Amino acid sequence: MKKFLLMLLLLLSFSVVLVACGDDADDTTNDAEPTGDEGEAEEPASGDPVEGGSITGAMHSAPTGLFNPIFYTETYENNILSITHESLVSQKNDLEFIPSLASDWVTNEDQTTITFTLEEGVTWHDGEPFTADDVVYTYSALADPDYIAAGGVRTVYVENLLGYEDYSSGETDEFEGVTADDDYTVTFHFAEPNVNPLYYSSFPIIPEHVFADIPVADIPSHTASLDPGEVIGTGPFAFTDMVEREQYNLTRYEDYWQGTPYLEEITWRIVDQSVMTGLLETGEIDFIADPEGVAAADYETVSGFGNVTIIEQPDFGYQIMGFKLHHRTSSDVEDGVIDPDNWEENEKISDPLVRQAIAQAINRPGFVEGLLYGRGDVINSPIAPQFWAYTDEVDQNEYDPAAAEALLDEAGYVDVTDDGFREDPNGEEWILNLDYPVGNELRERSAPIIAENLEEIGIQVNLRQPKEFTAYAEELENDNTDWDLYLIGWSLSSSDPDPSSLWGTRSAYNYSRWNNPESDELMQDALSAPDAFEQDYRADVYAEWQQLYAEDLPAVILYAQNKLYAHNDRFHGVDPLPYRFTNNTHLWWVSE
Amino acid sequence: MYKYIIRRILIFIPMLLALTIIVFALAQAAPGDPFTGQILDPNIDPEVYEMRREELGLNDPIPVQYFNWLTSILSGDLGQSIYYNGRSVLDLISQRFPNTMYLGLFALAITLTISIPIGIYSARKPYSALDYGATGFGFLGLAIPNFFFGLIAIYVFSINFGWFPSQGTITSNNLTGITALIDRLHHLVLPGITLGLAGTATYMRYMRSEVLDVLGSDYIRTAKAKGMSSNSVLYKHTLRNALIPIVTLMGFEFGALVSGAVITEQVFNFPGLGTLFLQSVMNQDYPVIMSMCLLFGVFILVGNLLADIFYCIVDPRIRYD
Repeated sequence: MKKFLLMLLLLLSFSVVLVACGDDADDTTNDAEPTGDEGEAEEPASGDPVEGGSITGAMHSAPTGLFNPIFYTETYENNILSITHESLVSQKNDLEFIPSLASDWVTNEDQTTITFTLEEGVTWHDGEPFTADDVVYTYSALADPDYIAAGGVRTVYVENLLGYEDYSSGETDEFEGVTADDDYTVTFHFAEPNVNPLYYSSFPIIPEHVFADIPVADIPSHTASLDPGEVIGTGPFAFTDMVEREQYNLTRYEDYWQGTPYLEEITWRIVDQSVMTGLLETGEIDFIADPEGVAAADYETVSGFGNVTIIEQPDFGYQIMGFKLHHRTSSDVEDGVIDPDNWEENEKISDPLVRQAIAQAINRPGFVEGLLYGRGDVINSPIAPQFWAYTDEVDQNEYDPAAAEALLDEAGYVDVTDDGFREDPNGEEWILNLDYPVGNELRERSAPIIAENLEEIGIQVNLRQPKEFTAYAEELENDNTDWDLYLIGWSLSSSDPDPSSLWGTRSAYNYSRWNNPESDELMQDALSAPDAFEQDYRADVYAEWQQLYAEDLPAVILYAQNKLYAHNDRFHGVDPLPYRFTNNTHLWWVSE
Repeated sequence: MYKYIIRRILIFIPMLLALTIIVFALAQAAPGDPFTGQILDPNIDPEVYEMRREELGLNDPIPVQYFNWLTSILSGDLGQSIYYNGRSVLDLISQRFPNTMYLGLFALAITLTISIPIGIYSARKPYSALDYGATGFGFLGLAIPNFFFGLIAIYVFSINFGWFPSQGTITSNNLTGITALIDRLHHLVLPGITLGLAGTATYMRYMRSEVLDVLGSDYIRTAKAKGMSSNSVLYKHTLRNALIPIVTLMGFEFGALVSGAVITEQVFNFPGLGTLFLQSVMNQDYPVIMSMCLLFGVFILVGNLLADIFYCIVDPRIRYD
């Protein structure tokens, strides 16, 4: 145990050194904006695609080893599965859904069903034809009574389907949610009118002929989910070999339905983050992509390599400083109940003026410059900026300490005891607790700066010791404590902008315990048939919601980081999606 | 002697039991459980995790959980990892074990081949330039953190000169026979040296002071007086007696060998038990943590037992009954 502690200590000192290195690099950052437009910066320099060759990508942690779309839980698996498996529909750069395994679709009048016409001539990596039965099987497996017990977490895709309750509880053997009309036609039936049926039908399809005879409970431990050569998809490359935790080899599928891929092989190597950029420079690896990409601090170094192109695009996610507007009672925490009626208001920050003042006191542009080296943005709305639903036309809460002080004065929080700190309107001591976790270095570094910013306008902040993430997450959730301010990062879905899973009053992830009936109503409206079938209608409602959010401010959005992908210039045909590097991999090719 | 060994092995049982109780209690005392950290994906319904907890018995009282774990261990089942999606713990450990073993042995070989000759030489010529040089070098090796040395080694020998691979244990699965072996050794060089040099100072200093000590003792004077050549004095009388503390050290090393070298493994992406353990602790993967602690415990106890047995061999004066 002592040895282990020692190692931890070493690890810590390691990160300290890294931080120190980062600081040095800071001095040399210039403010001039070098290239880095979205995706399209990629214009093949040298003519037509060439057949053959291979490329190597790097990720810095290994997949846990479960290569089955319905069961994997780590993002590292997704680097492989997003190449080997396909869905009925995929998304393009503006996040609109486009045909993939399904060539066409129609919805009925009230959008309770959607019928897909499947591509014919698609085959699995083992040569079997892809049919509607595979789609039916995949969704039935997600809805299977044993699915959750076996470790599955993707029930979101089936919960809205007709007959899910009955099927998943084992009351019936017949799943009505997804049905095959013939070999190449499949229909999804929703229990209620569905605003975004394509999202629910965008799940990767697994082969029925492989899994049909395996009980769902045994799928995660079956070789067809684990072993290269036995993991079967319809994608342009098949998973053929691996040295576990070191490298994962994908070989092209000659009979791929969109045409034989140019590359012969794609290899993922697991590379320690500290040597990743070095290997990129020597050409030992060709690209660095999801999930972390290149660190913002390394931007200058990597762009100086000469043989490497960086693609910069906003990430789906942001870091927030949340306000614990309410706390749950101890008995509710005990029982795991989320009941707004029992919540206790946190009066220290219940005044929206105070929250706005805090937002305006935090130097958020400073974070983007100082912590992110300019590779990010200040945003004011909790919807991913890539979405049609995002609007920037909300209260900006710009950095303005003077305005922040004025707001606090207006709200009655003034310094009556002349100790340099403001007291609450009753003249009582007013101290805000700020809690934050370790694990994300930038976030850790932002906490003391926030405390400093707030103290500059006279708010006394009790900056707590950072907690190990699991411990932090538990306390964040079991919030019968004295927390006032907390830091957390969210990654967002790229499929639909609906913010209710994070900000709905009863949502478990609403850690602010924000209780605003108007907000709930708006989020509900944006999903209500039939008005919400029109995207413009939804956009209007979300615009209204975002303004409400910016005024009531359950959390300050600190910054949204950019994703930095880097690839060798010999690698062409790179066409990243806003949320993922791997896209149209059959069109990837290498020169030389 | 056999009685002694049997007695020692019997003592292992309550020791291991105590070890598992402590580790289990500590692991449970840490806040959260395997799912706490994961609960931050808004695309996943938190209800799902609650059902998983119930399913895995994580909501049971701690003594019940411990008892369940103990009974399954006794029936030879190490259980399933939670983080690794229900893969068997035995599978995970046995997959990493060879890597850790190769690295540990290779590093130990480097440590010994460097430190013992230098230690002996330093003792024979104490306060010579080489003695000071070796001591300085040894302590430098001890003082430089592994990750730093490892990174420097990677940048110089792998990235700049391209002599050695920097990541992983083999180039590909397709190699066979002698090429596969050479490939594996090739991958071992940098992490092996990184890990091996760090241990050099300790062994060297022990060797030096022990040899110096023995060289000053009466029986060595007698041997010299008999007219034995100094080489013969050294190899026949001195070394054997000087090895005792080295054997003790290696007894500990045996345990350290399996617990792996987290930092070195990390920097060189050398998948061994060290990183597995660290990751399991981070993810509160109880079944893996428990099994590995048990494994480490067994190895350390066995290592110490072996050291005790080796004492008899190197020093005939030591007898157990």
